[in-house]
Amino acid sequence: MASYYCPTAILTDAQKAPTTFSLAVPALSHSPLNNNSGTPITPATTLDLPLWLAEMLAVSRPSGPASAPLATLDMPSALGPKVMNALTADATSVELRQQAQWFYGLGERMLELFEDEEMGAVLLNTFKKRALEIADKAQNTRTAQQGGDSGDFMSGLDETERQLFRAAHDGTHTVKRWFEATSRG
Amino acid sequence: MALPLPPGLTPSEVGFLCEMEHVTVIPRQTLDGLELLGGPTGALKPPFPTPLPLWLALLLKKQRRANITPPPWLSVDALTQILDFETDERTAELFSPSPNLPPATTTAPLEGDPYLAHDSLELSAPFLKDAATARAQADALPYHWLEIGHLLITHAPDDFEDLDAVRKLLRDLREVRMSKLRKGFEVLDAGGGVKMNGVGGMEIAEVRGFVGGVVDGLRKLNRSREESRKERETEERENGFGSSSYRDDEDEDML
Repeated sequence: MASYYCPTAILTDAQKAPTTFSLAVPALSHSPLNNNSGTPITPATTLDLPLWLAEMLAVSRPSGPASAPLATLDMPSALGPKVMNALTADATSVELRQQAQWFYGLGERMLELFEDEEMGAVLLNTFKKRALEIADKAQNTRTAQQGGDSGDFMSGLDETERQLFRAAHDGTHTVKRWFEATSRG
Repeated sequence: MALPLPPGLTPSEVGFLCEMEHVTVIPRQTLDGLELLGGPTGALKPPFPTPLPLWLALLLKKQRRANITPPPWLSVDALTQILDFETDERTAELFSPSPNLPPATTTAPLEGDPYLAHDSLELSAPFLKDAATARAQADALPYHWLEIGHLLITHAPDDFEDLDAVRKLLRDLREVRMSKLRKGFEVLDAGGGVKMNGVGGMEIAEVRGFVGGVVDGLRKLNRSREESRKERETEERENGFGSSSYRDDEDEDML
């Protein structure tokens, strides 16, 4: 499990997933969860709840005659079939940031809950292909400064990929700086 | 508090550590042996060559009290030979080999497995003897080849016969090896490994952040698959021992 204080884990868990309530929760009608709309929450209302809340509701089983969980959790649209097909077709052209800012974190959490082998394989493949692209781009910003199409790929990276890019770029950059520093002294 | 530094050595740290390597120095002035923390240095009596740590050698060179002899692998011939090895298409997967390691200095409790002995001592750079002295191996690049090469070219240019050629060869070597490393990225996998025998310290430092990040990301994505696979394996193992059909097969084999 991710650490309690880790900002990455907090932000990842704050991403939303569609949850269908299986009982009425009138007291929450005016809460921000319901967009403060005031429409009553009846069984079969679907709301986008943050992952940490949705997971607890979906996993908990209240003791009592009806021991079904309080809500059912669906796959968020960021990991839906349309995105999966797009990723299988061409992993590097999908704008992951549009889907979810912490895309791979979201995928990891859903894989914990759902055990979808195919989705796991697609995500792994996507990660590898995009990592290769990132390595290329990190190395080439020195020479080809900002092409128009490279801007699209870079803006479509989710947070983990951005950190990867920064790590790759920093490595080359630090080595260059060391060479320059020792040349002077 | 969270430490913002990345795990592992940064390139500047690797560059600093390389200065512990010994190089052969030809003194121009006498100097008594120094009692350094790492051990005593030999006395300097010109014109006898003496091994000294690189940082001390560079200092003396700057003060014009000594000349540094480039190690055998830092010559035009040696570097050209190594570069030919690297660019040969048959060795596209490999790096040029590192110098031969000394045998482990221990009596091992198990044959050929020195790591378990209490008194075993596995030396690694920068403590390997003669990595950059005049007695170094001429056809292998030691661990700190890039850093030592660069420092010697910058601070002791007059000690080289053909400085420009050496500089160009070093640059070419660095590019060839980095491109080989980058090709190795393609086989990164959650549980996989890349064969990197012979890679130098600075080269690793450059890619450490990226490769570490990729493998970590893959590990996280693979975690649920890994866990379900482990559960399945433990179940199969238990069922295998308990099921009777296993035993029946064995009896039939005996007949």
